[in-house]
Amino acid sequence: MTKNLVNEYRRRFLAGLGLMVGATLLPELSNTQAADVTARPENEPASSHKRWGMLIDVKRLTDGGAAMVAACQHEHGWGHDPQASAEQQAQWMRVVKVTDKQTLHSFSLPVMCQHCEKPPCVDVCPTGASMKRADGIVYVNKHTCIGCRYCMMACPYKARSFVHEPLKDQKPHSPRGIGTVESCNLCVHRIDKGQLPACVEAAPHAVIFGDLQDPDSRISQALKASGGTQIRADLGLNPQVYYLNI
Amino acid sequence: MSNKAIVYSEVQQSGWGYYGVLMAGMALVGLGLIAFFYLEHTGHYVTGMNNQIVWGLPHVFAIFLIVAASGILNIGSIGTVFNNKAYQPLGRLSGLLAISCLIGGLMVLVLDLGRPDRLIIAMTHYNFKSIFAWNIILYNGFLALVGLYVWAMMDHKIQYLYKPVGFAAFFWRLVLTAGTGSIFGFLVAREAYDSAIFAPLFILISFALGLALFILISYVLFTGAQRVLSKDLLKRKRYLLALFMGAVLFFEAIFHITALYAAEHSHFEQFILSGASGYSLWFWLGHIVLGSIVPLCLLLLPWWREQVSSLLGAAALVVMGSFIQLYVIIIGGQAYPLTLFPNATVESSFFDGVIHTYTPTVWELMLGVGGVGVTLVMIMIGVKVLRFLPVSLATAASGDIE
Amino acid sequence: MSAIFKTLKPLLVLLAGVWILVGCEAGPPPTNLAPAKAKAAQCVEPTADIRKNHMAYLMQHRDATVLAGIRSKQYSLVECINCHVDPKRADGSAVHYEDRDHFCASCHTYVGVKIDCFQCHADRPELANQTNYQHKLGSAESYHFSHQLGTPAVLSLQDLQTITSGGVQ
Repeated sequence: MTKNLVNEYRRRFLAGLGLMVGATLLPELSNTQAADVTARPENEPASSHKRWGMLIDVKRLTDGGAAMVAACQHEHGWGHDPQASAEQQAQWMRVVKVTDKQTLHSFSLPVMCQHCEKPPCVDVCPTGASMKRADGIVYVNKHTCIGCRYCMMACPYKARSFVHEPLKDQKPHSPRGIGTVESCNLCVHRIDKGQLPACVEAAPHAVIFGDLQDPDSRISQALKASGGTQIRADLGLNPQVYYLNI
Repeated sequence: MSNKAIVYSEVQQSGWGYYGVLMAGMALVGLGLIAFFYLEHTGHYVTGMNNQIVWGLPHVFAIFLIVAASGILNIGSIGTVFNNKAYQPLGRLSGLLAISCLIGGLMVLVLDLGRPDRLIIAMTHYNFKSIFAWNIILYNGFLALVGLYVWAMMDHKIQYLYKPVGFAAFFWRLVLTAGTGSIFGFLVAREAYDSAIFAPLFILISFALGLALFILISYVLFTGAQRVLSKDLLKRKRYLLALFMGAVLFFEAIFHITALYAAEHSHFEQFILSGASGYSLWFWLGHIVLGSIVPLCLLLLPWWREQVSSLLGAAALVVMGSFIQLYVIIIGGQAYPLTLFPNATVESSFFDGVIHTYTPTVWELMLGVGGVGVTLVMIMIGVKVLRFLPVSLATAASGDIE
Repeated sequence: MSAIFKTLKPLLVLLAGVWILVGCEAGPPPTNLAPAKAKAAQCVEPTADIRKNHMAYLMQHRDATVLAGIRSKQYSLVECINCHVDPKRADGSAVHYEDRDHFCASCHTYVGVKIDCFQCHADRPELANQTNYQHKLGSAESYHFSHQLGTPAVLSLQDLQTITSGGVQ
């Protein structure tokens, strides 16, 4: 009998410990997003002293990231180009369902441009249209994109889409057009104004966004405390998007 | 120069044969232009290409012609660089064919761009880390060097340039084909590519394909213009073609065996070599059996090897086989999904984890054959207005045809 | 006779060309720009300067924005469109760059200069009440309003009514 009491005590102790840890983590992950991005004066260029990154806790994403994808679609207006077939439709961000081949353990996560430190899409682009900004955001300068699609061949995350038809009534802050390649730009227009990317705003309890170069930022602290996994880290591209619990 | 005794002249024929081929070439160019303007107007949604198979049939045509261009120049290089006198009279023609094929291929590549109107940007904005940007320089340099090479063969005033420019052109074409192969070799993301062997493999494909195309085109031109080809030379080309084909198969085998051995590539290899998809069938039947084994038999087995028709048949099969080989490399390589998570299956609305399908539309075919048409028209006009074709290659020793 | 005609033919063609050229009007064409939506008294630069150099300003600003992330409003294309283009005509139909009454097209078709800004960029401001178009109309933080050029800093009720009803001024 005493043995059982000990076990019970252990269980209670462990549960209490877990709750305490959870309680310390929880406020970190919720509702304190406001200070993560600060507005930059409008005539000041992006600084290489910042490196924007994202930490997505897959367990907290009850919908697997569907709300994040919807927010992205709403913000940038992709996904309903009238002529394109399903295979030709642009997709800046998608929910990927992953099932382990042995254990059949399954989870879903949102996948978009991972904003690599050494992006292959930037290396292969003949005109330099595929570019990385000083603060680490990777996107296409559509003014010099000739539509060769070599970056789409080079991206390991399948993050890029090609616009297959003439478009109208794009979002003024997010130009998209025929014959050019496009991808997640980390909502660069919002970051410059001191706002969070649309997808981050759509999942405040599961995603931390911030400056990876600032050791005191929430994202740096969270990565320090709980680690984080990059997709295809074996390729050595050092993506800026980290995932928890995958 | 050693080929002083050789007399060159323009093609004299102006009958239906000549103009028929010229018109056919122009008709193909017309088809290509129609497809281009249509694509430029509507966008690429009318093609079979999509966000999974981003490079399609036009790219197969373009790379086929570009690889052929560098290979065809070998005929001239054998005469110049390796000082083989029997090949020297064909140097001019080899230069013309090389330039024609390259321009045809580049036209397809450029007209398939999403924004062909911005070609000037490709010429003014260079990212020197990109193998694509290097290829733009390599293609332009190739055109300039081969142009100079042909000029040095035709104009006695700059004959002293013949050797140095010939050497430079040979070196340049090796780098160019290595660059074309590296477009695929440098793609770390894709299991199908990501291998340094693509550079030498493409060089060898160019050797075999270029020679086979040269055999076919020169035979048609010589017989059409009622001129005599040296039987001796045809025999030499037979052995050379067999040798090049053997080399292609050797590198291809190394590539596939290495990939099969490496666990991370083995799934893709199984897909290409034994998958249920059509690509395995294309690979084995089109490239290996019809494109390699049958022509090798035609070239080497004692019953057939002495006949000109078996050489021509073998050359035609090699051309076809190379096209299929490039199709399997380019399209088959993209059809296999990217690996996001090793040891896990993935699915999404963006076709993650599924074999991608590709059905080319007529527009892509028209654009591709448009490039072939450009090549054809340039060759036909070239031999008509300038002295590319030798009047006769007959030698007393070898008892030549006719 | 035909020999004389043959020698004179180039000359005749030349004369015909000169005659056609003489028939053209001299001097710059009258500007017949489409009306601006909520136009300030003055553009971000003097009108003559803007007419001559708007493309240079836009090009420079474009590279500064895309490459470096500079987001100043003075030469922003979005602000040009917000101020100069009415999203709808009086009958409620949309105004696009292909139409001759689009502000940019009204001059660009006249001078025969093709631009490809609007293959990617929106060619009219977003309408708040349209489902496709969720956001602002003529942002209140635009260059004109923040720099007090001409119009009052805050839109009058009448201005707002004109804008939201989509009427052409």
